[in-house]
Amino acid sequence: MKSQIVVIAEHTGGVIQPVTYEVVSFAVELGKMIDRKTQVVIFGKSIRTSAQQIAEKTGLPVIGIENEYLDLYNGEVFKAAALKALETVDFGYICLPHTATGFDLAPRLAFFLHASCITSVEKVRAGNGDIRFVRPLFNGKLQAELAPATHRSVLTILPGAWPPVEIHPEAKGSVDIVTTDLVPGASRTIASKESEKGTLNLDDAEVIISAGRGIRDPENLHLLKKLAKIFPKSALGSSKGACDLGWLGYEHQIGITGQTVSPKLYIACGISGAVQHIAGMKSSQIIVAINSDPDASIFNVADYGIVENLETFIPCLLEEFRNFMQQKPLTTFRAVNRTKMDRPEQERR
Amino acid sequence: MNRFDEFALEEALLIRERIPRDEKAVIHALSVGPARIGLTLKKAMAMGADEGIHILVEQEHYMSPFDTASLIASYAKNMGYDLILTGVMAEDDMHCLVGQFIAEILAYPCVTSVIHQEFIDDGNKLYVEREVETGRRICLQLNPPAVLTIQSGINTPRYPSLSNVMRAKDQEIITIDAKKLLALEKREKLVSLSYPEPSLKGMFLEGTPREKAGALLRILHEKSFI
Repeated sequence: MKSQIVVIAEHTGGVIQPVTYEVVSFAVELGKMIDRKTQVVIFGKSIRTSAQQIAEKTGLPVIGIENEYLDLYNGEVFKAAALKALETVDFGYICLPHTATGFDLAPRLAFFLHASCITSVEKVRAGNGDIRFVRPLFNGKLQAELAPATHRSVLTILPGAWPPVEIHPEAKGSVDIVTTDLVPGASRTIASKESEKGTLNLDDAEVIISAGRGIRDPENLHLLKKLAKIFPKSALGSSKGACDLGWLGYEHQIGITGQTVSPKLYIACGISGAVQHIAGMKSSQIIVAINSDPDASIFNVADYGIVENLETFIPCLLEEFRNFMQQKPLTTFRAVNRTKMDRPEQERR
Repeated sequence: MNRFDEFALEEALLIRERIPRDEKAVIHALSVGPARIGLTLKKAMAMGADEGIHILVEQEHYMSPFDTASLIASYAKNMGYDLILTGVMAEDDMHCLVGQFIAEILAYPCVTSVIHQEFIDDGNKLYVEREVETGRRICLQLNPPAVLTIQSGINTPRYPSLSNVMRAKDQEIITIDAKKLLALEKREKLVSLSYPEPSLKGMFLEGTPREKAGALLRILHEKSFI
């Protein structure tokens, strides 16, 4: 049998993270290019239900490794669990999501397996008999095409780069659960804590107004709050940079190590567009970006770009909005009137 | 200096401040690269690092994070560092790999994306919190020597003080030729660097600020947001 592509699934307390299905999507695409099958592996304390869920949704075979020390992530223990799962699999590629777990584990495995390690892959290409992986540099202003110089590779896949897998399998994949002995080494995971400043569920918001370091002064946040008020079901988001400066709490953070959101409308204010941020908001339905720098990377993903200083632009936008709202009922009224007047004429005809 | 490395250096300075002076904790700021990175090392010394160590590489070939880590590990092996701090990633290429590779090569424990750290148990153990998705934190204990990759926001990096700037100006950087270190065999090759295809997705709104505001409101109205 040919070597396989292995996907390491990510879950939080048994809930499969959507990025897992994006990585499956990548693996299936790579598999079609090089004629290889995909195998999923998952680690946890009690993992059968999650493993079955993946097997049903993807139709792919799933190996689950169970051990009490696999409840919370620990690099050393998860590395040992992965090596245990790989004992029975002939593999050429290991794929993980580019998350705090994925980028932590990937190099540990690569080093041990004498494999190459390429992170935040956003495209895959076949060229001259080899496979090349494309990853962004300088927040997507440049891209590097890398080829493994080794027999095996460990890859992390940029969230948002592939759509979640859309396989409707005829049959569910096999599930194989292995309970194994593992003991922590020099590091030991002892607990997991929720964000200190409470949680804010940005998933419920239909419109997200986000602040970046480019708003320049936390005083300017009131402009964004006013803008948010014109939409029902809106919330305030933030780049990591603005959170690091203490302008907004980390519960507002969007991107890798923050939340992943896909609202109907995303308005990015003073956000330059770091890859880590874009990975968390790329799948929003409509993206509007306001930034004074026309070269900002955020404009690459925006549907509508506005190159303006937001300190002057947002007040202008709010003023125009007030004018717009005063006109709107009038316009509607006239339109209604016209239809009423038109209709009898048509009837007469 | 890479922003994430500023946080890592500041964290090292904070650790040194908490250690009694007679124990003489020393900070080495180390970087791999061509001659121009000497300036970055001078800045690290001006912020308070005791020494600047420059692993000199003439950049003719592509250096992957693994290549960089193998040089650092080769140097660090003989130095017996208790703690190696790196930024969680480089701001330009954001690989998130160098720290973990150094740790694997040296067989040190490693925690990435560190947002809080403190020595406990009379300095024999480290308590560390790492930041993961949705701002959640995973708490660990580990035995040094160890590698920590530092997340942004852990502290507020200081500005160089005048006395340190004067000291850094006169102090020589220790330069080591990378050829004298043991580099491990390359595992990745760079095929090409290119500009991404321009995205055809978006459009810029044109005109005066007022016209742009009007255009945006019309779009939002058409799409039933207002």
